[in-house]
Amino acid sequence: MKGRFSLIAISLVVILVFIFSSSLWAASKIVIGHPACLSGKYAKAGEQALGGVKACVDWINNVYGGVKIGGKKYLIKYKYYDCESKKESVTSLIGRLITVDKVNVVFAPYSSGLTLRGAPVAESHRMLYMDHGGANNKIFRQGFRYIVQTIGPASRYHEGTLDMIHKIDPAAKRVALAYEDSEFAKMVMEGAEAHAKKLGFNIVFKRTYPKGVTDLTPLLSAFKGAKPDFILGGGHFEDGQLFNRQMADLDINVKALSLIAAATLPAFYKALTSMAEGVMGPSHWEYGVKYSESRAKKAGLPWIGPTQDGFVALFKKAIGKNIIPDYHAAEAGAQVLAYVLAAKKANSLNSDKIRAALGDLKFMSFYGGWDIDDTGLQIGHSMVDVQWQMGKRVIVWPPEGQTGKLVYPMPTFAEKAKGKLAVPR
Amino acid sequence: MLLEHLAGNLIQGLVLGAIYGMATMGLSLIFGVLKVVNVGHGAFIMVGAFITLWIFNALGLNPIFSIPIAFAVGLGLGLIFYSLAIRKLLKAPELSTLLATFAIGILLEELVKLIFGSEFRGYNWVVGKINLGVTVLPVAKLYACIGSIIIALLLYLWFNRTRAGSAVRSVVEDDEGARVCGVNVGGVYALSFAIGIGLTVASGVLVTMFIPVGINPYMGGGYTLKAFVIAVLGGLSSPYGAFFGGLIFGIVENGSYTLFALIPGVEPFALTRFLSFVMLLVILLIRPTGILKAK
Amino acid sequence: MRKTVQRYYPLFPVFAAYFILFLVGKNVSGMWQLVSTLLFYCALGQAFNIFLGMTGYVDFGYVAFMGVGTYGMAIAITRLAHVEALGVLIVAIGFAMALVMAALLSVAVGAVALRLRGAYFAIATIGVNEGFRFLIEGAKIWNGSDGMIFTAQLNQILGRETASALSTFWADVIVLIIAVLAAFVTLFYMKSKIGYALTALREDEDAAVVMGINVTKYKIIAFITSASFAGLVGATSWALKTPYVFPPEVFEIHYTIEAIIIVLLGGAGTLLGPVAGALIYGISKYYLSIFLPGFQLLIFAPIIIIIIILFPEGVIGMLKKSFRDSTLMRFII
Repeated sequence: MKGRFSLIAISLVVILVFIFSSSLWAASKIVIGHPACLSGKYAKAGEQALGGVKACVDWINNVYGGVKIGGKKYLIKYKYYDCESKKESVTSLIGRLITVDKVNVVFAPYSSGLTLRGAPVAESHRMLYMDHGGANNKIFRQGFRYIVQTIGPASRYHEGTLDMIHKIDPAAKRVALAYEDSEFAKMVMEGAEAHAKKLGFNIVFKRTYPKGVTDLTPLLSAFKGAKPDFILGGGHFEDGQLFNRQMADLDINVKALSLIAAATLPAFYKALTSMAEGVMGPSHWEYGVKYSESRAKKAGLPWIGPTQDGFVALFKKAIGKNIIPDYHAAEAGAQVLAYVLAAKKANSLNSDKIRAALGDLKFMSFYGGWDIDDTGLQIGHSMVDVQWQMGKRVIVWPPEGQTGKLVYPMPTFAEKAKGKLAVPR
Repeated sequence: MLLEHLAGNLIQGLVLGAIYGMATMGLSLIFGVLKVVNVGHGAFIMVGAFITLWIFNALGLNPIFSIPIAFAVGLGLGLIFYSLAIRKLLKAPELSTLLATFAIGILLEELVKLIFGSEFRGYNWVVGKINLGVTVLPVAKLYACIGSIIIALLLYLWFNRTRAGSAVRSVVEDDEGARVCGVNVGGVYALSFAIGIGLTVASGVLVTMFIPVGINPYMGGGYTLKAFVIAVLGGLSSPYGAFFGGLIFGIVENGSYTLFALIPGVEPFALTRFLSFVMLLVILLIRPTGILKAK
Repeated sequence: MRKTVQRYYPLFPVFAAYFILFLVGKNVSGMWQLVSTLLFYCALGQAFNIFLGMTGYVDFGYVAFMGVGTYGMAIAITRLAHVEALGVLIVAIGFAMALVMAALLSVAVGAVALRLRGAYFAIATIGVNEGFRFLIEGAKIWNGSDGMIFTAQLNQILGRETASALSTFWADVIVLIIAVLAAFVTLFYMKSKIGYALTALREDEDAAVVMGINVTKYKIIAFITSASFAGLVGATSWALKTPYVFPPEVFEIHYTIEAIIIVLLGGAGTLLGPVAGALIYGISKYYLSIFLPGFQLLIFAPIIIIIIILFPEGVIGMLKKSFRDSTLMRFII
């Protein structure tokens, strides 16, 4: 009993020492603080974001040669903790990052909810707060002053897809919308609905399904009867796979299927294999996009950052795995570049000045264009549409960014089961 | 049109229900014998799903072969967790076992995440489809449904036709009485826990035969909640009661969609979930022994 | 007179802990947000303990009361923000709404679920929590799954500076006050007839009924009290401090589990237990996430199992056992 008790006493002392020994290190470095989502429900996106930030920090320090401000060269240090995808941890970690680690900028955690949770803390410290994973437009209608978005707003996810079908197949008028019942997906749905009406589409079905469902059969059977020409929907990762799989199971064939979030990830094809052939998804960024220094010059925008392949190589090095980064990595990485450009332009590390510089900033990187409006909402970045063709992701929209032609209509599920792939004519 | 849709959903619901039922039998067995609610239930289903995935992708074996393997792995896991943790908590207040099984669930999730990562995975087992007119039924789902029924029957036979089974039954009825009659109650506890976990892990295989995608370390949570509702429908302590509970649950969940869709201005899918929990409360109140058992 | 004072001795260590926490948060740089998280866990544990600790019933749907409280505050702010005369009063109205809504839900749930015992009760309460969430989403109550985001409204009615101070400092102070109140109420209940009746119930419910104790009445009192505190915690930590409400986040069962862990770690049914549990849980998780980002759950799960097996009565329960007759024990119950 005694031994057990002294053990507790010792551990208490150790804990107390930890609390009060706030590590003090002065730095001639720029520190990026990040309550990253390394475990919990957003772990997948969080890992990508971590790799993306590390890759771009690496590039700035070792290729770009650091950041020169006021004649002094600064290197970037990336300080991150794991927020477990939980709001309580987000605020306590941001508090620590700002006051103990004395970071110069805070990168928001993944998702709109967690981004919102941290915003008041960042605001109260007058700390620049950069959002790479919160797409909800409403974040930017709250009057926050220090928040800046790199990810594109949710309402625009499916606009490109609608534009594309409008152009390619003017006869296809019947669209079905079936999204996850979450704040993010519903915002995408509202945006898609408004844009579809503007283009003269006929919305024949519009329903949601709850988060975390394991069987979509009743919903899918319901829209089978509505006979849509094409379907827009999705929400997150697992439900996207389920959506596609169960459409195959129920033999529901449409000319095009576009799912948000899930469809552009490599895991989607790995899980579904041939059933994913011809399925599309909007993406903020995709390996294969054609953003380059020369294109930036043509558009009259300054260029910064690694080339696309350079980014991919740095990303692989950063996370120590041989995987191609997805858009979560790209947008987190682009955020580092935006910060560096703005800091240089402001010639200061003061959050207010950098925020003002970000407001005027317009640039292009491997991620594409970057520009924000007065509220901090991202308006300069356009999304691409990706289609699975023969096991590869092909960018089919916009026309100027195409890496291949759209396969339209996509093969039926019966054809796919027999091994037919989506091959462009 | 409406009736056709309803009929299609009911058939799908029946198939799904058989799998739900099978996925709950382990929970009910463990509660019936040990009076322990396994809050980490879903994590064991997840383990079964990963076993299937791994065997299919690495060895190229048909998922049906994974059922006995998953069952064996489950038996092993069950024995390990029983002897390390559960055995020591049987006399402790309810709270301890609730929390311990929850922690076991987290442990499994994090271990699987460490090994396989948090990617959403799946496999594609092409065995064709049957067109029933009102709906289309993939053969894999049919196999899963038949597999569930066979396993439920085997469990029934084991319970009623073997000595070990009758020992378990006597403990469910009255563990003190069983002890007096010379039943090795400790042994029955260990065996029941192991078989319960074995069944649960095996049901993970059937779950992936029904839905072969979205396999990830955290997939179990939803199944835990459903299993609770189903277990209560079946009387909580009766494994084959749970099987029929699953059938009813599947039918109600899928069938009610068509009806809720008739109400304007609501989201029918979320309401089907609401209905299932209302059903849970009503049954707990009017007939806590389950809807099948007469008092 | 002396006796009455002595009755409240056990509050000293609780308040001392809160006081030290507050001082650390105010004076050690970088600690305030951690302290605020710890206070949240303390308040959660204290509130949950009033019911679980005293009755032994495990309410798995506890988070529903926090969720409803969050909605109470959110509704008050979003619907009344245009009435400029209200000013800070809007927060008071929000708390009143939170309290009433949580209490009403607890009466409804209590009337149904408290007829059940043990595992049946636990499962029924999970059902209430999940069912309520799907009702909100399915029937599109209170904006359904779109939820509410209301920083703009808070800024509008309170002014930007006040609103910011509210969500980063005053909200935490209110949580502290709630925790203090909960400690007070816990002790009051323990020392009154309610406490004795519930202790009898926890030991053996059937015997308590035979003895003529109106078990149901006292169960319901503890249930409603505990739920009302949950509503207040939700209104503060999840509405004032987190200026949005999305249904899946405020009905997340994970928080119930955290409350259970905290109470069990510290010792169910003790006054100091939830505080000790909250500090151990919160601090160890915080440092695990800093020093071993990504692995804290993997480390935490086996630790929980070991603690349950080795210290089933929790830290404070164990302390009580080993120092049963010393004067120190007058301060710890």
